[in-house]
Amino acid sequence: MGLKTVLLSAALAGAAVFGTSGAASAADLIAVITPSHDNPFFKAEAEGAEAKAKALGYDVLSLVHDDDANKQSELIDTAIARGAKAIILDNAGADATVAAVKKAKDAGVPSFLIDREINASGVAVAQIVSNNYQGAQLGAQEFVKLMGEKGNFAELVGKESDTNAGIRSKGYHDVIGEYPDLKSVAKQSANWSQTEAYAKMETILQANPNIKGVISGNDTMAMGAIAALAAANRKDVIVVGFDGSNDVRDSILSGGIKATVLQPAYQQAQDAVDQADAYIKTKKAPAQEKQLMDCVLITPANAGKLETFSLKK
Amino acid sequence: MIRRRLLVALTALPFGLALGGCKIVATAKKQAPGADEGTGGGFDPNVMVDAMWDSKVVPYLQAKAGNLPDVLALARANPDEAGHKYGNRAKEGNEPWTFAARIEGRVIAAETASRAATISVDNAGDGKIAAIVQIGPAMRGTALRDALDFVSFNDFKNQIDYAQFGKAFNQHVARTILAQLPRDALVGRKATILGAFSLESGDQPPLVAPAQIALGPAS
Repeated sequence: MGLKTVLLSAALAGAAVFGTSGAASAADLIAVITPSHDNPFFKAEAEGAEAKAKALGYDVLSLVHDDDANKQSELIDTAIARGAKAIILDNAGADATVAAVKKAKDAGVPSFLIDREINASGVAVAQIVSNNYQGAQLGAQEFVKLMGEKGNFAELVGKESDTNAGIRSKGYHDVIGEYPDLKSVAKQSANWSQTEAYAKMETILQANPNIKGVISGNDTMAMGAIAALAAANRKDVIVVGFDGSNDVRDSILSGGIKATVLQPAYQQAQDAVDQADAYIKTKKAPAQEKQLMDCVLITPANAGKLETFSLKK
Repeated sequence: MIRRRLLVALTALPFGLALGGCKIVATAKKQAPGADEGTGGGFDPNVMVDAMWDSKVVPYLQAKAGNLPDVLALARANPDEAGHKYGNRAKEGNEPWTFAARIEGRVIAAETASRAATISVDNAGDGKIAAIVQIGPAMRGTALRDALDFVSFNDFKNQIDYAQFGKAFNQHVARTILAQLPRDALVGRKATILGAFSLESGDQPPLVAPAQIALGPAS
């Protein structure tokens, strides 16, 4: 065995050991574009997608659009320019995103949407979203039970450009609206943000000191609300969230937030990469573009099994 | 409205005849349809459901439904086989099967204080609850929509429209069938139901969304 062969073998072995990182130029690229990782939900789905893509032998370009549709459009340009074979996207607006996804499609780059829908079909190859209506009804039914079917409550709503904000609010109201003794005293958007929810909750509490419960469109806003309530020494107020984050899990287990609804975010992202992989390799699209994944109610009874947006068996 | 009442009466008639003493009395006020705000574009889920109910929905459920004990036995032994035979589910995603079933039995409990009222039905004469049937006016879930193989999320603009379409089935049933049901002295009466449900946890009796209900005499 000559020196050259030995070196070559070593190089090959290195490539095998280090996987795609050792052969960056050879591996196909998948772009993963999500909102800011400040929210653990988006971090988890990005990590789920990255892990699956790497396991399938892809290089990954992970980017965040910070819910800015212009920035998202630039990031999609970047993904196209870098020759990405597919884009996994949690988008920055149901209407604003349609053109950006179409641009990628026209450039030959298929998009696989997770978490949030766009208001068009036939543009993305897949739209895999949580069954937010089903999940919101679960959360609302638990909220109604915790409230004893009566009392004043407030609702924190998510970002208006995101269909998920509207659909969860609708799911809540289709259940809560059936109970005439449950009175909505405030309904405000806190844009999915913990700090905004903290400020909104302080204001709501000043105007409505007799409030008994808060139902929130996501977990980060629920965390903001419970912090504001704790600061005002109002630990009696019932708070219910939506997402299933580890932060809210810990709050539930320590008697803070009472319930949330788990979205299978990690699995959703992995499924999207699997479908992208199948499409890249065989041009085979999933049987249905729009796909729903059911949510699970999280209470003190099962919160201990929750870890990074999935429920351990 | 008159035409709709006649239609309901006609739909109910075969049930009534089959059960002898069954009497469905139309007394309650109709709820106004289309109470929800739409997302524009002329999308009216209530009109869509009203248009397909008699011609497509009821015939489909009648053809697909099995008798409840058969459906449950197969669903617990082999959910996919039961699903293909008696049910429906989306081709992608992780939704559970939604089954169609016929239930014949006796009302052994009634919860009518809540707006989400239910009757519990025993179909084996053993005093055990075989199914909990929603009798409204508030109905939960989207089982009636999800049982239909000719309805797909893909055909809707977004989850909001799809959810409103699901709710329109519940409103249709509440308006045309459940509003006519009595709320008192239900326990002991014979009940015949065609409905849909998804199995949440294996051993609990299913929560059924009815498409048809007929009540017979108590005995």
